[in-house]
Amino acid sequence: MRSRTGVPADTVWQQLSEQAAALKHIHLAQMFANQPDRFSELSRRAGPLLLDLSKQRLDAHTLKLLASLADARDLRGWINRLFAGEPINHTEQRAAMHWALRVPVQQPSPVQQQVQEQLDRMTRLVERIHARQWRGVTGEVITDVVNIGVGGSDLGPMMVCRALDDAVDEQAVRTHFVSSMDGSQVSGLLHQLRPHSTLFVISSKSFTTIDTLYNAGTARAWLQRALGNDSAVIGCHFIGVSSSTEKMDQWGIPRANQLLLWDWVGGRFSLWSAIGLPIALRIGMQGFRDLLAGAHQMDEHFGTAPWVDNVPVLMALTGVWNTNILGIHAHAVLPYDGRLKHLPAFLSQLEMESNGKSVTRDGEPVPTGTCPVLWGEVGPNAQHAFYQLLHQGTEPVTCDFIAPARRYHELRHDAAAAELIGQHQLALANCFAQSRLLAFGEAALPPDERLPMHMRYHGNQPSTTLLLDQLDPFSLGALLAAYEHKVFAQAVIWQINPFDQWGVEMGKRIATETLSLLRGAGQAGAMDASTQGLIGQVISKLQPR
Amino acid sequence: MHLDIYGDTLTALVTAAALSSTGHQVTLRVPAGQVADDLDAHRMPYQEPGLEAMLDEQQRAGRLLTGSAEQMPDDRVEAVFLALSPAAQPFAESLIDQLAARREHSWLVVNQSNFPVGTTESLQQRLRDGAEPGVDRAVIVMPEMLQEGAALQSFMRPSSILVGCDSDWAEIHIREMLRPFNRLRDVMRLLRPREAEFTKLAINGMLATRLGFMNDMASLADALHVDIEQVRMGMGADPRIGEAYLYPGCGFGGLNFSRNVMSLANTLESSGVGSELLEQVLLINERQKEVLFRKLWQHYRTDLHGKTVTIWGAAFKPGTGRIDNAPALKLLEALWAQGVIVRVHDPKALPTLRAHYGERMDLVLCDDPYEAARGADALMLVTEWKDYWSPDYPRLHNLMAEPLLLDGRNILDPEFVRSSGFIYYGIGRQ
Repeated sequence: MRSRTGVPADTVWQQLSEQAAALKHIHLAQMFANQPDRFSELSRRAGPLLLDLSKQRLDAHTLKLLASLADARDLRGWINRLFAGEPINHTEQRAAMHWALRVPVQQPSPVQQQVQEQLDRMTRLVERIHARQWRGVTGEVITDVVNIGVGGSDLGPMMVCRALDDAVDEQAVRTHFVSSMDGSQVSGLLHQLRPHSTLFVISSKSFTTIDTLYNAGTARAWLQRALGNDSAVIGCHFIGVSSSTEKMDQWGIPRANQLLLWDWVGGRFSLWSAIGLPIALRIGMQGFRDLLAGAHQMDEHFGTAPWVDNVPVLMALTGVWNTNILGIHAHAVLPYDGRLKHLPAFLSQLEMESNGKSVTRDGEPVPTGTCPVLWGEVGPNAQHAFYQLLHQGTEPVTCDFIAPARRYHELRHDAAAAELIGQHQLALANCFAQSRLLAFGEAALPPDERLPMHMRYHGNQPSTTLLLDQLDPFSLGALLAAYEHKVFAQAVIWQINPFDQWGVEMGKRIATETLSLLRGAGQAGAMDASTQGLIGQVISKLQPR
Repeated sequence: MHLDIYGDTLTALVTAAALSSTGHQVTLRVPAGQVADDLDAHRMPYQEPGLEAMLDEQQRAGRLLTGSAEQMPDDRVEAVFLALSPAAQPFAESLIDQLAARREHSWLVVNQSNFPVGTTESLQQRLRDGAEPGVDRAVIVMPEMLQEGAALQSFMRPSSILVGCDSDWAEIHIREMLRPFNRLRDVMRLLRPREAEFTKLAINGMLATRLGFMNDMASLADALHVDIEQVRMGMGADPRIGEAYLYPGCGFGGLNFSRNVMSLANTLESSGVGSELLEQVLLINERQKEVLFRKLWQHYRTDLHGKTVTIWGAAFKPGTGRIDNAPALKLLEALWAQGVIVRVHDPKALPTLRAHYGERMDLVLCDDPYEAARGADALMLVTEWKDYWSPDYPRLHNLMAEPLLLDGRNILDPEFVRSSGFIYYGIGRQ
């Protein structure tokens, strides 16, 4: 296939392989020794975000080749199609316009009116709840809000709420999250809360997600046991967020309590929509708008910056280089800030559900590898867990180190600030030390220090460091949008559709069949021996002895 | 004696009136602000029975003068009273420093302000700094125990007088000044200054706790279909408990009462101890202020939009025009948030209410209680003004759109109200 700029992709892949062969025997420590200005050459800034690629096993020439790969795959054209609202999610015939959710009110967008309308509705709900004027059915003030959702309707809002703990609005109510279908979270939570003062947000784009509807059913029964069967119980204690007005109507949620999103927002890209209601309840509408503004700034950057200065594109191309050229198939996300506790889980959904694909847009098997296995943990804690494998294992892993430069300067920390700032410095020191040790290995140690084999560090493990000025709504918005666009740019290189998720559909369907067997209906004969055996075990345990 | 009183609180005015009425030569020095403006314009900033008349009388008799708070007492003055607002602590300190600088003058300072526990001792330290040897100086504390609505009475016929004092010289003088109010039997109790300050806070904490407890009981009574009034009288008959402060109601307000309880909560919190009980008491009280709203909300099955509700009584208690922390404020805001138009009557507090909220479409202030009830879907009795104890039920019934009566003070007879054709809700009784 020939690209618009002339250099065929196959040729670029070939050039990249040759470049890898040329760099193969140069240890990262050597690269730094050869090039004293490596940091300034290989780091970039976009708004509140600094991207340091200098500990990646590449050089400026590699970046140029990767940029021509982006051209060969027509990344520019695809970005234009994304921002034009074309139905680039072709298997579902939908656009992917999560970016339109963050276009500021004074700038036109194809869906501006509906987006602003929902933001206004959200503002009214948030203001009423914050003013302590949202009433339960007995007239009590709502003090606790429980978000019931799963996947994109859970991970995003939960991750952001936790991340922005220091930006909490002084009028904020307590927010809780319930997702797991087995009921373990909801049962624990309902023991702590009072029905009279609890409001549930049922968050499901389709409003058919079985996990969510079961949890919502449990919540409804809990409320009705305490407060009676009156339909006003649902009217006072439930808000629905979905793209289906009809389904919310059927469930009994009054129109005034419905917030809408649309087909053109993917679940894992939806925290910017009304799905983000719990975020707004925590940090206020102004905080929520700052989050959107940070993401919008990154949208503009992504849409306009040349490839070699484009932070999301560079994140994408570095990943492609590591996965497809260097053959590294594992990627760890390591925030050095406990507030970003849920970021690894959020990013593993964002990246793996988007790019865990093996068929191209043309319906052919992909010729290259796609998304690596991605996982992670708060860095300092992971140091006591899986870092052993990073430093001395046989499986190479690339890492994203993420940290804020400044922390604990907010007013609420005044009393303990000195000690806490000390702790933050300690975390930063560990962050920088770990990426240094991974890159340099023993070269990071004093010369003359000869170590026995089992204590050695081979180094040469590539990592990226993302340094935020500070963790606030604006910078978090920018960081998350950068990852979203990284995912999109990689999908373009890999020629796949990042916006569908057919791989998660079939399992839901056959679970329905299995459920009826577990409940003693249907013929087990249709199942494989393993499933039959397992079902048999469960049923035998249910029988009274 | 020549006495100077600094302050713009109700205590300042009451002390000035009471002490001048017994023959002292008093100068009242009110710091610049709303209260001073009111007095200049011959408006009474505090509505208290008998207070205005007594102040006028003493001024006419020449025993009560007013002066600037920026000026120092003249040399004849033997005692200085500080009845300042809690925010005026820096003013008190600078005043004390200026008194202290007159090295040969003997000073007795009586602190009646609600400052944090320990303030009186530190003021005394300042006052004694630099005094000539042999010059008597003391700062003592006499916590104000005024019952708002009966303020003058409670100063002049006190059931007890708390004085925090650690100087014999000061004791002789304070006894002399208060002698006319302490005749029947000696009700003056002397403590260390910080003990007196703390006692004042603890008394208010206890009273608030009793009310909080009764309101909690009233909620239970509601749920169990028990009449809390019967329970209250049964409890009050037990001498270990007594009858005072057992009335359940729709929450207590008042500048001093609420502020004192909160000040105790703060005192404990900043000392690292923290009072979970008092926090709960305040929380229950805030919740209680909305109890009538909750009953109305349930009565109309969570839909109040477009309704009209009448509130009788906006002052935080009868006899005063003040609305500080009054339950009516929380009710107004809750009702407005649901799109309700509120018509309010109060014998004294309407001007304050208007100043507080300004003009709004959904607030109608009525000089006549029956006019306020016109077209209403509910009538909430919030402050137990005497005017409301015996309403003209047939007239109300004719005026109101729905005969619904919510009695926030349990002053009406549920049976009689119902027999007059109304639906009745009380606090802990139906």
